[in-house]
Amino acid sequence: MTAATLDAGGAGRNLHYVAQKRRVREDRRFVAGTGKFVQDIALPDTKHAAVLPSPYSRARILSIDSTAAAALDGVHMVLTGQQMAEDCNPIRLGLKLPDIKWYPLAVDMTRYAGEWVAIVVADNAYIAEDALELIQVDYEPLAPVIDPEQAFDETDLLVHPDHGSNVLYHGNFLWGDVVGDFAAADDSLTLRTRWGRSSTVPIETFGALARWDEGTEILDIWASIQMPNFVELLATTLGYPLNNIRLHQDVDVGGSYGVKRGIKQSVLVGYLSRKLKRPVRLIEDRLVNMAGGDAHGPDRIFDTEAAFSRDGVIKSLKIRALDDAGAYPGRAPFQLAKPISAIVGPYTINSVKYEAISVATNKTGQVPVRGFGQAPTNYMIEMTVDAVARHLGLDRLEVRRRNLIPSDAFPYQIPSGSSYDSGDYQVVLQKGLDLARYDELLQRRDSARAEGRLAGIGIATCLEPGGGNNIFEYLMDPTAEITTFMEACEVKVDPQGKITGMMGTTTSGQGHETLFATILGEELQIDPDEIRIVHADSLTALPTRSPVASRMAIMLGGAATGAAAKIKDRAMAIAAFNLERPVEDLEYAGGTISDRNDASRKLTWAEICFIAYRAYHKLPPGMEPGFHAQHVFQVPGGGQLPDAQNRVQIYPCFSFQAHIPYVEIDPGTGKVSVLDYAIAHDCGTVINPDIVRGMVIGGLAHGIGAALYEQFAYDEEGQFLSASFADYLMPSVHEIPDVKDVEHCTPSPLTSHGQKGSGEGGYLGAPAAIASAVNDALQPMGLSLSELPMRMHKIEALINDGPG
Amino acid sequence: MKAAKFDYIPAESIDEVVAALDRGNGETIIIAGGQSLMPMLAMRLATPATVVDINNIAQLSGIEVNEGEVVIKACTRQATALASPLVQAHLPLLAKAIGHVGHQQTRNRGTVGGSLCHADPASEIPLAALAMDAHVGLRSVAGTRQLPLADYFLGPMMTARKDNEILLSVHFPLGPDGARTGTAFHEVSERHGDFAVVAAAAHVQMDANGHCSKAALAIGGADAVPRRITGLEARLLGTMIDRNIIAAALPEIANAITPGDDQHAPSAYRRRVASVLAERALLEAVAGAAP
Repeated sequence: MTAATLDAGGAGRNLHYVAQKRRVREDRRFVAGTGKFVQDIALPDTKHAAVLPSPYSRARILSIDSTAAAALDGVHMVLTGQQMAEDCNPIRLGLKLPDIKWYPLAVDMTRYAGEWVAIVVADNAYIAEDALELIQVDYEPLAPVIDPEQAFDETDLLVHPDHGSNVLYHGNFLWGDVVGDFAAADDSLTLRTRWGRSSTVPIETFGALARWDEGTEILDIWASIQMPNFVELLATTLGYPLNNIRLHQDVDVGGSYGVKRGIKQSVLVGYLSRKLKRPVRLIEDRLVNMAGGDAHGPDRIFDTEAAFSRDGVIKSLKIRALDDAGAYPGRAPFQLAKPISAIVGPYTINSVKYEAISVATNKTGQVPVRGFGQAPTNYMIEMTVDAVARHLGLDRLEVRRRNLIPSDAFPYQIPSGSSYDSGDYQVVLQKGLDLARYDELLQRRDSARAEGRLAGIGIATCLEPGGGNNIFEYLMDPTAEITTFMEACEVKVDPQGKITGMMGTTTSGQGHETLFATILGEELQIDPDEIRIVHADSLTALPTRSPVASRMAIMLGGAATGAAAKIKDRAMAIAAFNLERPVEDLEYAGGTISDRNDASRKLTWAEICFIAYRAYHKLPPGMEPGFHAQHVFQVPGGGQLPDAQNRVQIYPCFSFQAHIPYVEIDPGTGKVSVLDYAIAHDCGTVINPDIVRGMVIGGLAHGIGAALYEQFAYDEEGQFLSASFADYLMPSVHEIPDVKDVEHCTPSPLTSHGQKGSGEGGYLGAPAAIASAVNDALQPMGLSLSELPMRMHKIEALINDGPG
Repeated sequence: MKAAKFDYIPAESIDEVVAALDRGNGETIIIAGGQSLMPMLAMRLATPATVVDINNIAQLSGIEVNEGEVVIKACTRQATALASPLVQAHLPLLAKAIGHVGHQQTRNRGTVGGSLCHADPASEIPLAALAMDAHVGLRSVAGTRQLPLADYFLGPMMTARKDNEILLSVHFPLGPDGARTGTAFHEVSERHGDFAVVAAAAHVQMDANGHCSKAALAIGGADAVPRRITGLEARLLGTMIDRNIIAAALPEIANAITPGDDQHAPSAYRRRVASVLAERALLEAVAGAAP
């Protein structure tokens, strides 16, 4: 399908609000200082919790004496894992691993340095921390397992002895004729790449406030949350019926991109508030958050074998991915499965063998991070493409051009079953090259080299799957027959004719309120600034899967479009009845409905609303009074189980980006300076240009961090070395160049306005692009590096000591 | 990350400070800009019984030229020092060093004396001051004393300042009139504004014939304290320093430092990069001292 035919569908319409440069409505409250975060919720008599972290990565807990802590003035309770395990169920893990019991506090054994061993509730956080110092824990330190490859082989040293192994998941997938493709190929190579343990780091750590109401028997929770199934997990862990818990979703969440899971934290405050019959708040500080909260992302070793023709066309890949999930897996193993949706990247690779392994180690448990495993996978694919070019002595750009899926091949089905919805990869790549002034950039690099400097250009062309779908769970666990992945909204028109949209989740900076209002405004032809957007709590919300998976533009956009259509239909029905004309003769313009043939016959929006609410005698027979609509939108293309070859459509929409950074390396210190960066980006129709640009550039900065600086480091004893921003190095504005960006629009045929996901793209390509640039700079010395982050001391050692 | 309980004294005079320190038995600590101490308090890495705040004592702020030296009072903000025409004119090495200290926002609050008291082995102001042969003025209830920086740094975050002493001022000697001097400050850190992984401060002075009449090279981040590389300095002194002389003297650095290992750099990195930065700093300083 070509862009031209798509334009005739959704995106070519004359748009008034969508794709227009309009203000982001959320900015107002943040700029005015009236955002409302968990810390801002003030309930009378609230008590404060603080947690005691384990100093050992692996130790038996022989005893805990909390007598002195409990006796401290102002302390209301000291709780240990043992007590809690008697009253609560273990937190449900993503995979069915019945012998791995995960409790909010360690029971009998600590499994990573920083694991919470006890929690104190006191009048304030100062007293709570004073009390922590009085808790006496008698530990018997044990040897930990830290290296994931050792963990995989280990039979004695087990993170969870009852599980009998450190392997949490080990699966093999084969899509297409890998053996035949390798046999027929001219050449092949193998490559090991390593993605370091890093994350998204929200400006707000996790916080939760709980209040048990003895009168209504409702547990109210305010939490800095972004997680599907959060309330269900909370209910099953605490052993409450689901409708006893009310999650307030009208709090602002100060950043997330996956990491705001907060389940153990919320179980703790929920449990404690009921015990104490008072509100209890837990706000993680940065040390607690980075060591023992939900902070660490994928930590992955790839061994890749590529088969290719001598002109650089890649035929087949064999991929082994070994992922270090840390001590408690949560949903971590699934971050190996989502990338199956785009396992060949934007390339025409014919067949793939994929071996995915998740192991437990004595490190902090891994949580979902922006892209849900796609960033490491893109990095591996792009490094492989670069390696093929190097191996054959071909230009990296030319190799990409020979492998990119052509624009006339969409929808394009890849070996693992996904059908890519649309794309125009060669053109986007060319736009990126033009923006970067690629020929001048080559000259700049070459003159820098002539002056003895190490200079390199990076090239990465990557995909961003968007929209979400739970079916990757089924690929890992065929008992998880979950094919629904919906998002919903309700739209209410009030008696004054004003519109309120109600969404079912929190928002963590992605601008969902702007998105929702823009699409409602577009569909109903009403200025979005006049539309109110509110967040339902979990008892009143319609079904949602939370804002994960680069999905809200696609899914909330789809739900909003559907609800707006129902509102319009209702208005038309009221008008048809009152104007005594068939609906086909009526037209809707900005809320007023008139007869196409006689414009004087019309009903204004105010009149329609009056009838809906006040004039039952003017309602069409059988129509309920009032004026609202609900729409539950299922992910496009979702709903199927995989076929016998494990092929399935996972995510519906595929955005594309081409990254072209320019770096120079100081050969004396190994320090990399990113001096220029161009990105061409295609996420279909852009709903709000400022939001998309912010996501792209912010994501790109995030990716530069993962490529060069950010690492949660451990020593051999499993001591955690990166618990503060002095040691976990996030790039600041000084490290990020002035990024040049350009948008391209290949609309998706599957979505309401041609939109695709855009929240992850910058991050999904930047690490690969920076690695490519560093390796280009090192290439004249015959050196290359394949491990992230590429810290300056590693680069310096490579330059001065050589490989190995 | 909530501080343990402490008493707080907003002192109005130096007398009040030294009296409080004297009463404190080592449990009283001074707060100036708080850029290092506040996080240490919050993380309970420091748990003093009493914190004495010196921010309101006017006599502890200011920069003046005085009998062959520039005196910077302890509570002078780093930003004030950086913007000071006196510092720019007389202490170019200090100005270059302060440019690497944190960020504008932290320099607005952080003080020159605070950096010297905190004595992080990778921090910039102690390193530059050491290269400039500065000394500090200390005072307790018993009186005042002057201490050269060469005798001041004892270890990481450890100095010869006693628990009952306040650091009043830092004194930078002025070179002879008309001397040709050159200075340079080079450091490497992964991010702008971080503590140096390694830093080098160079200060050279030439006589009228172009011979080196003074050479100072100090290396930071590569040992428990900032180190003067006296072996190297001796090899430059009296020579008409050029690239070859510097190169020949650089191996002295490795003998003079014992770098530590951490997640940000192994000791081998610090050792090699100390030499790289020293060479750059010396070349730049020599070029700056050229007629």
